[in-house]
Amino acid sequence: MTGRNDEAGRAPDAGPEERRGFLGKVSGLAMSIGLIGGYGAFGAVAARYLYPAKADPKSWFFVAVLREFEVGSSIAYRAPSGARINITRRGVGESLADFSALSSTCPHLGCQVHWEAVNERYFCPCHNGAFDHEGKAIAGPPAEAGQRLSTFPLKIEKGVLYIEVPTAELAQVELADEVPTGPGQDPCLFQRFPTREV
Amino acid sequence: MGVVSRWIQDRIPLDAGRLRELTNEPVPNHLKRWWFCLGGTPAYLFVIQIFTGIMLAFYYQPSPRTAYESVAYITDEAAFGWYLRSMHKWAATFMVAAVILHQMRVYFTGAYRKPRELNWMVGMLLLICTLTIGFTGYSLVYEQLSFWGASVGANIAESVPVVGPLVKNMMLAGESYNDRTLPRFFIMHAAILPIVMIVLLFIHITLIRIQGVTEFGATEEEKKKTFNFFPDHLYTEIIMGLSLMIILSALATVLPAEMGPRADPLTTPEVIKPEWFFYVMFRWLKLFSGTVAVISSGFIVFVMFLWPFIDGAIRKYTRAKEASVWIGILGVLAIIALTVWEASVAH
Ligand code: HEM
Ligand code: FES
Repeated sequence: MTGRNDEAGRAPDAGPEERRGFLGKVSGLAMSIGLIGGYGAFGAVAARYLYPAKADPKSWFFVAVLREFEVGSSIAYRAPSGARINITRRGVGESLADFSALSSTCPHLGCQVHWEAVNERYFCPCHNGAFDHEGKAIAGPPAEAGQRLSTFPLKIEKGVLYIEVPTAELAQVELADEVPTGPGQDPCLFQRFPTREV
Repeated sequence: MGVVSRWIQDRIPLDAGRLRELTNEPVPNHLKRWWFCLGGTPAYLFVIQIFTGIMLAFYYQPSPRTAYESVAYITDEAAFGWYLRSMHKWAATFMVAAVILHQMRVYFTGAYRKPRELNWMVGMLLLICTLTIGFTGYSLVYEQLSFWGASVGANIAESVPVVGPLVKNMMLAGESYNDRTLPRFFIMHAAILPIVMIVLLFIHITLIRIQGVTEFGATEEEKKKTFNFFPDHLYTEIIMGLSLMIILSALATVLPAEMGPRADPLTTPEVIKPEWFFYVMFRWLKLFSGTVAVISSGFIVFVMFLWPFIDGAIRKYTRAKEASVWIGILGVLAIIALTVWEASVAH
């Protein structure tokens, strides 16, 4: 600092001093860019490492042969994850519009809904969401947001119905079939869907 | 000087007298009032949490296949495992309560006003960390409510506009709860959040040392009286701390931490409740649609964060000098009302 002042004192013409100031700023900037870039790269590597590697894999699975699937009936389909999916045939036609595959995952915040036969509705215990048999929300936060139970993609090929679901298995699928006990667990509620299996 | 201390002095030339002077700041007398100790209580509890938490980590195994069984092992088989686990649980409850009470005392004594605005903001970060550490800890047990709490929490994060899906993926290590989820919660709970909190506490206490504690309602005479931090204040804290340990031990013995049903990702329990300090949020979620609830609660936290400046503006531009007191009373009543409402009904 003092050195610089001395020099400026000796040369009243500020030319070289200005240039030195400029060069100083440029090299300072270059240094900061280098440092930010370098350490930033480490940060980016760490962030990318923590972000899940790939989306959860999905695959197509067989559901039913169309001519054995009665109009108005439902199949309680089990995905590899153990998730229950209610597949219904709505119409006599053989187009996708005649089928629906309702997820049992509440569109609000992801709890599992169950069918309440007495009230003829799917009920979500987390925040009191309710849905009619077609999956349209009729009460609670999902109704307020105009949501519905999501559906899974279906396809029909040569008279056979297929569904696309995640293939990942969860650790406790085997356990899920034991009747759970303890507070908050009602074995009767284990009947999830109005199943009229074919 | 003895041989040993000479030997040490030769290598570490620290002057013991100066060291004492540095640490021995006189403490204002009004700190003997119990409500001014509410900041020291969470600090003491935090130390208990670190100790009991490290003990639990010796047996805990963070994976959906083993987590529940390892906690059951701690509870039923490891010698005094039930005691350490129950202490950790009760101290967590006390810590959240103490932080809330401490914040209320800071709020109602106006201690957040100039020059302490920044320390209020550090305190808000500590509050958020405390609640988050409570949430992640609860998820580790892999009970039904741990699992569904974590899933719902991740989905709340997802409904935040723009960054939501990214945050959810980062939280769960995937689009939904999977085998890689629990290690994340464990690392957050047992490593990242404690380190962040230690750093924040260090800043918090440094700022208190620089700015001094407010002297709300102290008379001129009282203000002049001080007592020594060492040993007076330290001894007081140690004695208070032991009393706290005794209360916690009694609670841990009479009402030990138990095991709920194991997590079942396919069945949401009929009655689902988070920890009591999230009842407010939980009731709020039932009152509004997802996005509305999330954005409005984000806004409330934001206002709390900037409160010293908002309050400053109110006092400067309006005649309502003590508006903060009334707003605070309304806020506390609303929090109590929502908590009691959630606690008293099943759905
Ligand atoms: C882990 C949680 C926390 C710990 C361990 C802690 C610790 C402390 C301690 C020891 C004090 C000294 C005075 C006293 O005992 O009251 C203090 C003061 C203070 N705290 Fe905290 N605190 C925590 C959370 C918070 C929160 C949530 C807020 C508010 C948002 C906050 C804001 C403040 C402010 C502004 C002061 C200065 C008040 C004054 O000078 O009178 N703290 N804190
Ligand atoms: S998760 Fe179903 S209503 Fe909230």
